[in-house]
This record gives sequence, structure tokens and C-alpha cells, in this order.
Amino acid sequence: MTSAPTGLGPMIAAASEPDVARPTRTPGGAGRRSAWYRRLTPYLFLLVPVGLLLLLTYTPVVNMFWYSVTDWDGLDKHKAFVGLDNYVEVFTDPDNLRVFYVSLYYVVGSLVQMALALYFATILSFKVRFKNMWKGILFFPYLINGVAIGLIFLNFLKPGGGLDTVLMKTGLESLVHQWTGDPDIANYSLAAVSVWRYTGLTFVMFLGAIQSINSEIYEAAALDGANRWHEFWSIILPSIRPIVGLAFILGISGSLSVFEIPFVMTNGANGTETFVIRTVWMAFQRNTVGLASAMAVVLLVFVLLVTWIQRRLVPEEEVDLT
Amino acid sequence: MFPQKRRLLALAAAGTVLALTAACSGGSGSGDDSSGNADGTPSGKISVLTWRTDLVEDGTFDTYVTEFKKKYPEVTDVKVEGVKDYEGTVKTRMNTDDYGDVLAIPGSVTPDQLPDFFEPLGDQAEMEKDYRWLNDKSFDGKSYGIPVVGNVQGILYNKRVWEEAGITEFPTTPQEFLDDLQTIKDKGVAKVAPLYTNYKDSWALSQWDGWRGAVTADPDALNEMTQTDTPWTPDSDYGVIDGTIYDAVKQGLTEADPTTTDWEGSKRQIGVGDIATMALGSWAIPQMAAAAKDAGADPADIAYMPVPVQVDGKFHTVAGGDYNLGINVHSKNKATARAWIDWFNHDSGYSESQVGLSPLIDGAVPAALESFMSQVEMITMNPAPAGKESLFADIDTASGIVTTDPKYRLQIIDDARSGARTKEQIFDDLNGKWAEGRADAGA
Amino acid sequence: MKVAAVTAKYTTLVVASIVTLLPLGLILFGSFKTNQEFLSTNPFQPPADWFNVDNYVLAFTKGGMALAFFNTALIFVAAIAGTILIGAATAYALDRFRFKGRTIVLLLFLLATLVPGVTTQVATFQIINGLGLYGSRWALILLFMGTDIVSIYIFLQFMRSIPRSLDEAAMIEGAGHLRIFFQIILPNLRPAIATVVIIKGIGIYNEFFLPYLYLNDPDKLPISTALFAFKGPYGSQWEAICACVVITIIPILVLFLFLQRYIYNGFTQGATK
Repeated sequence: MTSAPTGLGPMIAAASEPDVARPTRTPGGAGRRSAWYRRLTPYLFLLVPVGLLLLLTYTPVVNMFWYSVTDWDGLDKHKAFVGLDNYVEVFTDPDNLRVFYVSLYYVVGSLVQMALALYFATILSFKVRFKNMWKGILFFPYLINGVAIGLIFLNFLKPGGGLDTVLMKTGLESLVHQWTGDPDIANYSLAAVSVWRYTGLTFVMFLGAIQSINSEIYEAAALDGANRWHEFWSIILPSIRPIVGLAFILGISGSLSVFEIPFVMTNGANGTETFVIRTVWMAFQRNTVGLASAMAVVLLVFVLLVTWIQRRLVPEEEVDLT
Repeated sequence: MFPQKRRLLALAAAGTVLALTAACSGGSGSGDDSSGNADGTPSGKISVLTWRTDLVEDGTFDTYVTEFKKKYPEVTDVKVEGVKDYEGTVKTRMNTDDYGDVLAIPGSVTPDQLPDFFEPLGDQAEMEKDYRWLNDKSFDGKSYGIPVVGNVQGILYNKRVWEEAGITEFPTTPQEFLDDLQTIKDKGVAKVAPLYTNYKDSWALSQWDGWRGAVTADPDALNEMTQTDTPWTPDSDYGVIDGTIYDAVKQGLTEADPTTTDWEGSKRQIGVGDIATMALGSWAIPQMAAAAKDAGADPADIAYMPVPVQVDGKFHTVAGGDYNLGINVHSKNKATARAWIDWFNHDSGYSESQVGLSPLIDGAVPAALESFMSQVEMITMNPAPAGKESLFADIDTASGIVTTDPKYRLQIIDDARSGARTKEQIFDDLNGKWAEGRADAGA
Repeated sequence: MKVAAVTAKYTTLVVASIVTLLPLGLILFGSFKTNQEFLSTNPFQPPADWFNVDNYVLAFTKGGMALAFFNTALIFVAAIAGTILIGAATAYALDRFRFKGRTIVLLLFLLATLVPGVTTQVATFQIINGLGLYGSRWALILLFMGTDIVSIYIFLQFMRSIPRSLDEAAMIEGAGHLRIFFQIILPNLRPAIATVVIIKGIGIYNEFFLPYLYLNDPDKLPISTALFAFKGPYGSQWEAICACVVITIIPILVLFLFLQRYIYNGFTQGATK
């Protein structure tokens, strides 16, 4: 999960402003030359940013669509057009379909992550001792790099490692498993590590949203004799719904693009291969760039679809928190 | 050459930002500034990619570089890069022009790709007067790589452990091999596992490919594989290899949790006898023996046995080149790169130190392998017939199996552990894909 | 009832904190153990000698951690400077000028937010390689500064809050657009710059995928890739890996303790703006 696309409200608003209507005051002493210069100025400022945008975002997207209908191996000068063959393979090869299935573990993980974040954000928005300490502890994992997290949990989950020791000491030997070795459990373990890593961010987002709720609303509710449970359902949850929607979409797109944790911990073996791991393998090891591009296009379409659905469910203007 | 063409294309695509990109690529020169006279004396600097990260770590390569510079004083720098996960990483780098000056040719490069990536080192016929095992990395009469050392293929084991379990004879069939492993397990002499897969460092699973040809005692095994729709049968090379792996895992003769295996650690474990057996080429013998010595065990415990199949009452072993050194076709300093390869094969003492067979025709058989060699028949695999050099690779890629990549073998281990598929189902699936690949590749 | 609720509240907080800190604590323990000790003691047993820094020495001498920090810093400085200039220039042009094609440019940036970078990497690789930047730090710098739409948004937001009267006054005094940009706009964008430096700084520090894909020279690797590379040859020396992990975490921990408030703000803004 990266901090990706989000509140586009202001942007849309800005885009709908008329392009030319703003009356410009002529600065004192400006002659013909500077009027010409002024018209050119915005283009000069945008030259590099838009150039990079086209080069590093749009060209790859366009190329990717083109590669995806060829049999290109990434090296050959010749790219033969193969129509939709690659897409057929994406959806018929069980090994490819499996990565979608693996994503589901992370989707469920992101739901768990949201529930935990919501719970802790709510209780920490009320009076609690050492509030900052709890907040800091819960958030900190998000700041650690993915490789370190992978290694930390390899150490923690390996047979005879930290978790097994805890279970033995507390008399729960029966729960000891091969956390990354048992194919029925490996994906749960990895998704749990992902929850450990990202809950902090979701939690801080929720907490910020809850704290920006106008305190008068609580006071009014308190007068009405509402208890905490009612406060949560009738005030907090409705107020932060847009942020919850946002966290959800980040969770979904994050689940589809999981890479570091399974890559470091299992290298995608034992049935834990994710979309990105497989795509990179296909492109650079198996040298089927065409097929890998088709995978990437499918992923892109998925993410766009989820974004669109989320937009439909949570109207955009509500996201504007400030 | 086409990479230049690609560069132009990308630049055209960049269009509006030409100025910017030009400014940026100015900072890219990594090692390109080395010169070295085209065909003259070695000079300047080169970079060398090696898979032997351990020899980079322990300073062996520093000694090599010093020696090399002593012989060629005009060489200013040899930058040695130890590459972890060599096959995968270098394969990725070969999507670019930047893969060192001298490098070991990755196993997954197909013969017809050789001229695109590597500088020809000479005519195969001419070079065969000096070197062995050039078939592998030759194409159209030209050789593109020279093996650093020759290996024989089979099984590495801890002799003490096997003897403690009461086994003194080499197993002669895969079933006997499995029974022996079971005995070792039952007697509890190997704490970790009778057979260790090194699953996590998946490249180790590709080492089982060393059995190809030895199982059927057929130097044309791979060429014949391109002619059949069913290479996975109980008696075929691949069938015996993958079947043995499946059965060993299924019967619990391998490590309990394969996802937490560790290559470096496994050296010590086989050294002290916690692991009884691993399927590795003979190149691994000195490494394991050294680890045994470091751990206070007897390095002589590390021994080598042949593939457990007899044809006409004889064991067979495939001898061949280990990694081949080649020169990047984009290298700016080919003369020095060539000097490094020649120096490495003739003067470095690498092959002796690795208990390998020398790549030189007149090289001697090392003492550690003499007894093994006396019990087995050595075979050298035949090259693919002219015009069909890339057929195997084409089928392999088109089938989606990619036998050169350990991925499918990881899957076999997964299935054996979970019981998701039987050996027969796996073989049927692989055969189906292979047949499809043959059809796609027009075989 | 009330007491039970309070107890439950604190219990969950304590449990959550343990779950968070335990794996980290065990790594810290491990980093001070000797190889023999690491293999023979259970993970909860504190190290016999808290001053055994051999593993840390190994991480610096063999793992090249110092060089990795230097590389990260180099990439960080260049990429951040580029991001700030690009973000501010974009925001300045889009907010202060009305010109033909403005709507198109806005839409281009808008659409770009919808494309997750990780999906296009297969094709981006060909572009970077085509430019001859594979294996160069410039590849990372270019990607970090050229594909960061979120930062552009943050700048656009803040740009609105800078009164136009400021630049108009300067213009009357005869200042050109470049001068206005550097002397008025950039200084006034300080809060946005701080936010971007924090979010992006942590992002760059932690980034693994891009350097893994684009860099190969062991002397150029930034911190997370160097950590990954260290794991190969030292795979069986977990105590050394532990030390290496701790080394990568310490700078971020120190930063967090000092800049907590800004970091929280930065991430909530980065995610919601």
C-alpha cells in the first residue's frame, strides 16, 4: 500500500474553472514583449513536470497496452502481434489465477486492519492515559522498511522462534505451526505481517478524522444521555465515513500490489506468490514481457474499477475534510 | 545492434523532454569510461560478475585481482561484483547493456541468443584443441564461453552418517535410494533431515538437473525430449528426478519446514552430519568440506555418490562445464576481459581449488574425485543438432513450465507436502503443457 | 460496568503494544548475541553481554551499511530537491495562470493518480533502459521525482492559501516570474515543503522495489536493498542480520521521536489530500 490517489475534489473543482475568464491586471510598465513572455511563462514552468509525467507515466501505460498484445520477450527487435492470446493465458493458466486468490488474503487482512484501526482510533480519541505513547507505538511499524519487517518476522515466526516460544511457555503447544512452511497457513501469516505493518497508518488517518469532529456535537449528545456506543454509531462513524472509504480503496489497491513482505519472507514460494512477484518473474526471468504486460493491464483495470466503485459509493465532495 | 535502436525509440517517445533526458544521461557512465586498446595489451579497468559471493567475501578474489594486475600492470582496476541469486539477477540485468565485462553465462540463455549477448571467443573446432565442454555455449561454430571448471553430477552425502545407518553400498535404484533415506530417518542419525532440498534458496533445486542423461545413460536425452509429448514417465530422466523429489518429500524424508531452509547454514549442517544428503554437483564438495572443518567435523566425511540408477549394471555421471565465462558483447574493454578469462583458466588455480575437473584438455583429475570416477561411467551430453539449438528452450518457454527455472519444482514440493496432487497428476499436467509447448514451438 | 470498560480499554492497548514491540525487541536481543548463543538460547533470553557489538561491526564492515546510508542520502537530496521544484512549479503554473491547455494538463495529472506505479514497472523499465539509465542512481532520482503526483497535490493545495496580492505586489515592483517563484512562492510554501520532505523522505528511505529493479552495483545500493543483499551471504548468521535490521531502524526511530507531530500530520495530509 502506498499513499496513492485520493481526494481529487479540489482538482476537479479547479479543472472546472474557466480557462481564460480571469481578468489580468496589466502590470505597470509592461510592454508588448512581456505580454508575449507572460503568455509563454506557464508553459515554461510546466515543461519539465509535464514532460516527466508523459515520459514516466503515460508512455509506459501506452507501451504496456501495446506490449500486451505482442509476444515480445523484452530483447528481440521484432514484436509479433498476437491479439488477445496473452489475456487468454492470464485468465486460463491456473498459476496466474492463483495470484488473484492470494490477493484475497490481503484484502481480508486490510479489513481486519481497518477494524483494529477504527477501534484504537476511537478509544484514543477519548481521555486515555499516555495517549501519545500508545499512538506512537501503534504507528511506528509503518515507518520501518519492508525488508526489515520481512526479516523481523522471519526471525519471529521461524520454527522455535519468538512466537513458538510464547505459545510453548503459555501452554498452547497445540497452536504451534510452521508459520511460513504450512501451505494452509503461510498466506495468513504473511497477511498478518502486512496488518502489523499498515494498521498504524490507517489508525492515524482515522484518529485525525475523529479529532476533527466538532466537539459541540459530542456535548449535545452527552446532554441527550448518549453512551459511548451510541456516540460511536451515531456520530463518529458517519462523520468519518469518507476516510473509511478512502482506507478501503487504499487497502484494495494495496492488496493487489503486495510485494516486499512475501518476496523477502517466502520469495513467493509455497503458494504465496503475489501479482507483482509473478509479473516481475514473467517479464525478466521467463522473458515474456508481452504476457507480463497483460498481467499488469489486468491489474490496472482492477484498480481503476475499485476506485470507480468507491467513488460511486462515497461521493467525492465529502472527502474534503478541512 | 538493436539496443541502440531501442534507445532511439525511447528518445523519440520522450519527445518533449529531450533536453532533460540528455542532461540526465550525462550522469550515467558506470564503468563505460574504461578504454583499453581494442586488440592490444590489456589495460584500463573491467568489471567481473561472479556467482561466488563467498569467494568475494573471504578475499580470494582480491588475491586473484592482485595477481592479475601483477601480470598485466597496465590494468588499473578489476571490479569484482559478487551477485546473490546469480541466475535471476543477471538475467534481469541482461535486459540492459550493463552486465559487466566478464560474466558467467546464465544457464537460461539459449544458444541462439548467445551472439546477441556475448562476444565470440573463437572457432569451436579450433578451441576444442585446448578446452573441454565447449558444446554448451557454442552456436554456429563459434564458442561464446569457456567453463571455469568441470563438474560431475550426482549426490553429495555425509559418509559417516550413511555408515552409521548401516549403509555402505551405493543405492542402485531410486527406490533403494528412498529406502536408504528412510533407514537414516528411522535410525535418527541425521537430526535435521536425511535429504535437504534447500527449497528457500530455490536455485539449489535446479541442481537436480545434473541427473539428466545419467538416469538413462543417454547423451542425447535432452535432444530426444524435444521429440516426445510425454517426457515425464516413471523411467524417463525428468520422471525419475521429479518423481524422486516428490516421493522423498511425500514420505517425510526431507526437512520439516522447507520455507525456512538456509543455504549457508546447510553447509555446516551436512558437515556435522545433521543433514545426510543433498543433490548437488561436485562443485559443492570443497565448500561443504570447508564448512565441516570449520564446525570441527572431519572434512573427509563429505563424499560423493552417483545418481541411483544403473544402466547395464553401471552407474553413469554427466560431466560438463560449470559456469562458462563469457564477454559482454557491449563491453568497452574486450581485450582485458579476454585476458581475464584466459588468466582465470590457466593461472588462477581456481579449478584445482574447487576440486573440479580442469577445463583444459590436459588437466588432471583431482584426488578427491578419483575413487568416485573409478566406479562410474562418464558421459558428456551431445549438443543439439544444427538448426535446432534453441528448440528445447523454445518449447520450454512456450509450455510455461520453464524447466531452467526452479519454480515448477517448488510447486512439486508444495504438492507433495499438501497432497494436493499425486505424482501421476503432476506428470500428466507437465506432459500436457510440454505437448502444448511443442505444438506452439512448431516441433 | 465502568471499571470493566476501562480495564478492557487498557488491556487491549497493552496487548496491541506487546504485539507491536515484541518482534522488534527480539531482534534487538538477537543483535547482541554471539552466533553460538543465538543458536542455543531461546529468543527471549537477554544477551549474555549487552556490549557485544561484533555484529554491528560486521554489518558496517561487511554489509557496507555506511555506504548504503550515503547512497540513500545522495538519492534523497537530489530527489527531494527535484520533487519540490517540480511540485511547486506545477502548482504555480496551474494556480496563477490561465492558459490554453490548462484543463488538459490538470486532467493529465488527475488521471495519473489512478495509475499505481507498480503496475507499469515492466514498461517503465524499458524507458529507463532506453535512456541508458539502468544501473544508475539517476534512474531512481528520476522516478522518485517524476512520478510523485501526491506531492504535486499537496503543493497545489497550499498554493491556494498564498494570497495573490503578494505576487501582484512584487510584479508591480517589476519582479519577473522566476523571481516571484523563487522569492515569494517557494518561501511561502514552506509548510507544504516540510510535509513533502517528511512523507517522501520516509518513502525514499524505505523504498525497496525500485532500487532492487534498477541498481546492481553493490557500491550504489541504498539502505533497504543493502539490507536485502546482506541477507544472502550471512543467511545463517541471524545475529548479524538482526544487527543490520536494527541499524536501518534507528535513524527512523530517532527522527520519529523528534518529529512525531509533523510526521502524523504529514501522513494524514499525504493520504487525504
